[in-house]
Amino acid sequence: MMTIAFALLALASVLLWRRVQWSWALVMAALILGIVIFFGDVDFSSDLGIQL
Amino acid sequence: MRSDGILTPDAARVLNFLGLLAMVGVLVGAYVYEFGYRDVPCTLCLLQRLAMVAVAFGAAMNVMLGPDPRHYAVCLISAIFGGAISVRQSLLHINPYFDTTTGQPTLEATTNGPFGAPVWGLSLYVWGVILFATVILAVGIVQLFRSQFAAAEGPQEPDRLARLAMVAVGILVLVAAAETLTTFLECGFGDCPNDGGWNWWILR
Repeated sequence: MMTIAFALLALASVLLWRRVQWSWALVMAALILGIVIFFGDVDFSSDLGIQL
Repeated sequence: MRSDGILTPDAARVLNFLGLLAMVGVLVGAYVYEFGYRDVPCTLCLLQRLAMVAVAFGAAMNVMLGPDPRHYAVCLISAIFGGAISVRQSLLHINPYFDTTTGQPTLEATTNGPFGAPVWGLSLYVWGVILFATVILAVGIVQLFRSQFAAAEGPQEPDRLARLAMVAVGILVLVAAAETLTTFLECGFGDCPNDGGWNWWILR
């Protein structure tokens, strides 16, 4: 998943090189993927009781 | 809109180029740290790098396509995302009721060592908090100068700035490609290891 997120950024950079205006949409997709990875990394079942 | 303010569109592009170089410098520094200390980045560390590349992308958009509030928005959203990750990782190591070695909460207070070796006395995730807060502040200040958003004058941009833009995006492509490759070598297409060891997916 993390590899795919970075690959999206690399692809967006190549599109920016070609002056593609909507290349930022791929960056947003990479960040959304990052949020998914982040929430997958948090163990809510054990974290929430004490940390929040 | 006239472009006779303090910050002209061309000056803003040069400023964004410098910002991009700063972000790339941090990412290269992270590589030096990674290979120097043989310390493979954890999931949260990689997410912060992802945010740094995304901030650099916003700056590169400003250099390549000209200053635009939407390009600064990419920087801001990315910096807020990265800042949230850095704060989360810092809090994990501050919280005495969370054992970072087991990844589980504890009922008795414990002392958590930092993840990785400190740089100038601070852990990398604490530097992350400082870096992303600085980006948010800097982007906020730069956006006060609306003369930079004036339409480009003349049919063509100066040659030097066009070359600068190509260099900026070229650097970004190289960094993003390098991050993709090393992340693939570490994580493959699955979850990344969180043990901080010299643990490469390709070698497992």
